[in-house]
Amino acid sequence: MNDCPNAEIRDQLPDLLHDRLDVSMRAAVMAHIDECVDCRSELELLRGVHGMLTAQTPRVDINYVVNALPKRAPHALRVVPRRRVWSDWRIAAAVAVLAIGSGSFAVLRQSQTTPSVTVPPLASHSNPAPVDSTNGVTTPSADTVVRVADNAGGSETSPDAAKSADEQTGAAGLATTARLADLNERQLQALLDQIDQLQAVPITEPEPVTIRVGSQSSSPEGA
Amino acid sequence: MTNPARSGAGDDQRDSDLIARWKAGDERAATELVERHSAALARFAVSSGERNDIDELVQDTFVRAFNSLDGFRGDSSFRTWLFTIERRLLLDRRRSEKRRRDRTEIQESDSATEYDALDSVVADETQRRLHDAVAQLSPTQREVFALRVAEGLSYKEIAEAVGTTEGAARVHYHNAMRAVKEFLDE
Ligand SMILES: [Zn+2]
Repeated sequence: MNDCPNAEIRDQLPDLLHDRLDVSMRAAVMAHIDECVDCRSELELLRGVHGMLTAQTPRVDINYVVNALPKRAPHALRVVPRRRVWSDWRIAAAVAVLAIGSGSFAVLRQSQTTPSVTVPPLASHSNPAPVDSTNGVTTPSADTVVRVADNAGGSETSPDAAKSADEQTGAAGLATTARLADLNERQLQALLDQIDQLQAVPITEPEPVTIRVGSQSSSPEGA
Repeated sequence: MTNPARSGAGDDQRDSDLIARWKAGDERAATELVERHSAALARFAVSSGERNDIDELVQDTFVRAFNSLDGFRGDSSFRTWLFTIERRLLLDRRRSEKRRRDRTEIQESDSATEYDALDSVVADETQRRLHDAVAQLSPTQREVFALRVAEGLSYKEIAEAVGTTEGAARVHYHNAMRAVKEFLDE
């Protein structure tokens, strides 16, 4: 069995066998083979070896192979940002707790007629607040007393004072006086803590505050 | 010119799509990848003289490949990459087998002798002659010859699979072809 002197064509014979030649090269190789007995012999030899190796190869049990494969791509699992998921979950839970707490508080505030527990105002003025005639804002007096209720059965506040406090804080949607049925002291304190957290959110445009010291009034903005 | 679109080594784009699907959690894609390449891997194992536990070797090859798919950059075809993995496993097997033989003091290190184990399954006389012609090749010649003839890999792909150069792969192939012809002409 001789080797064809056309090495380039000989190099293409396995590609012809496996149909890997483009149209023009395939035509050229086929044309050469028609004329070359050595290349025809070599192509037959290639077919024979291919057939021999294929015939000797046992059939692979596909299921046996597949069953041993990892069930999911390792890096596909890593794509899941676990910490972020937890973080998002926690944020969502915190928002839900605050929303429910605030909502419950607002609903309870509307049912003040329920005679159960009286929550004293978070802060009240011992005297009626005078009105600054120059800018129309309510001006607390110099002897303003801020008193944080420390228990539900604490000292009573006069209706006038409570009403005044409501007027001061009602715009923020947070009741300072409410009758809360079914809440014990600890639950009330928890609600108050939540409200404190809501108030911790900075106000983008703080209203001017006028503080009267003695008979003079001043403003942080110099107004 | 070789036409990649009609590659006998498989449709690279199809492989890439299946790999992407598997990474996305589609386990049927893994089955299709195994179906597409398991026969070629088994044939390469047989061509290399492996006779026992072909299923296990193919399975190990795929397991190793799927466990390190992140390392597959697509520089070579998926099938060529599989051949590379399988070849390493074959070398590991032979080293283990050699150590085992050394311990039992049976010196049968001649790789051609291993390949002759196939004799019993080659019934047809023509196939037996072809089998013997391939069996007398050196291990490297046999690998290159099998990848070129049985799998239709290009010299470049063969070089990647067996860790040599394209030129060396061509030389190995032509030397193998000459040796096979001379054996058959005897
Ligand atoms: Zn020719």
